[in-house]
Amino acid sequence: MEEEKRTNWLGRIGRSLADYIYGMATHESTRFALKTRGSMEHLFILITMGDLLGVPILPPYYSLRLLPYVVPQIATWKRRMLREKDLTDALA
Amino acid sequence: MSLARIFREHTQRRYIMFGGKGGLGKTTFSAATAYWLASQGKRVLVFSVDPQASLSDIFQRDIYGQGAVEIIPNLFAQEIDADSHIKAYQDQIRAKILDMYGLDEIPEEIESYIQAAAAEPAMEESAIFDQVVDIVVAGGYDYYIYDLVPLGHALYYLSMASVYDQWISKITALREQMREYEQMAARFQRKKELQEDMILAELQDIKYRIQTSSGILTDREKTAFFFVVVPEEMILIDTQKAAELFRKFDVPLSGYIVNRVLPEHLLKSPNLPEYLRNRYSMQQTYLDKIDSIFGGEVLARVNEMERDVTGLPMIERLADIMFADGGT
Repeated sequence: MEEEKRTNWLGRIGRSLADYIYGMATHESTRFALKTRGSMEHLFILITMGDLLGVPILPPYYSLRLLPYVVPQIATWKRRMLREKDLTDALA
Repeated sequence: MSLARIFREHTQRRYIMFGGKGGLGKTTFSAATAYWLASQGKRVLVFSVDPQASLSDIFQRDIYGQGAVEIIPNLFAQEIDADSHIKAYQDQIRAKILDMYGLDEIPEEIESYIQAAAAEPAMEESAIFDQVVDIVVAGGYDYYIYDLVPLGHALYYLSMASVYDQWISKITALREQMREYEQMAARFQRKKELQEDMILAELQDIKYRIQTSSGILTDREKTAFFFVVVPEEMILIDTQKAAELFRKFDVPLSGYIVNRVLPEHLLKSPNLPEYLRNRYSMQQTYLDKIDSIFGGEVLARVNEMERDVTGLPMIERLADIMFADGGT
């Protein structure tokens, strides 16, 4: 009984430690993946909603269908697009 | 080979199109073919993809924007009202935005985008193009007859389909790549479930719609495309060029129909004016030329009528001429 409790306790510490190390190791990768994903999101909106900045790319009939999903991102996207010096920076 | 025989021998060709320069009789032939098929007991829908449609005129009934209207038993006609379709589409987008984010009104920037997009020149064509998918996918008819736009537009329509298709494929690929990064991050963070990417789902649906619509135009099994020509030099030259272009887009050309041929009995008239005699002999020259260029692909010669082809009795007469079986 006593023995079992001890192993449980040790097990918990072991798992937390593993999580901690795993978190440290993957934090950078996670950040990178999310950042890349975010940049691609902006590129995506540019391709589909380019009209908003005066860059018509996708035929408007179909871009309208996508519009509802990007409404919340439009403001940040516009700010970013107008700030970036080069579009390819967004991918770096 | 006769037109009637083509229909009898290729019953799987359910999508029928007549192409040609403006004013040569595409709508007339579409209506007459629909009439003939309906009289054979087939359920037929003839519909117009032209913003300046004239099916209402030929059937002498206002069918614009009213969906499929039954003209005679088995014969349905439809003119797509692009404007109201676009309006309904815009409203649908607005409703979706309000609903998704619980808003009371559309943000100004978004609203002006919705309005500006609808004013784009390609919007009308795209709307019609998109609605064709609904019509065809809904099914319910044995034959679908496309009353096509004049040649240039039809080519635009075809090229639009392939450009759209490529675009959507590229965008979809980008979206899929984004999804991979998202999944990667989710894995690192040990998240089990990832929300479905609605945009990706929409893109895949758009792609499906474009491919359905353009796929029909180029389907060798199910589609028959007929060219309308008249015996005149310029028309002949243009038609040859167009046929070449259509071939490049893989449109299955099924044959040619010659329209507006002056009837032979005119010659028997003792006091035929010189003017008509000249027109007649000019036409003979080009009829020979048409035969030598297109040979067995010429499926019918249709006489110039003494009056407009409008109203059912005239449509019936024309159908009789078009589908007269040359002893086959």
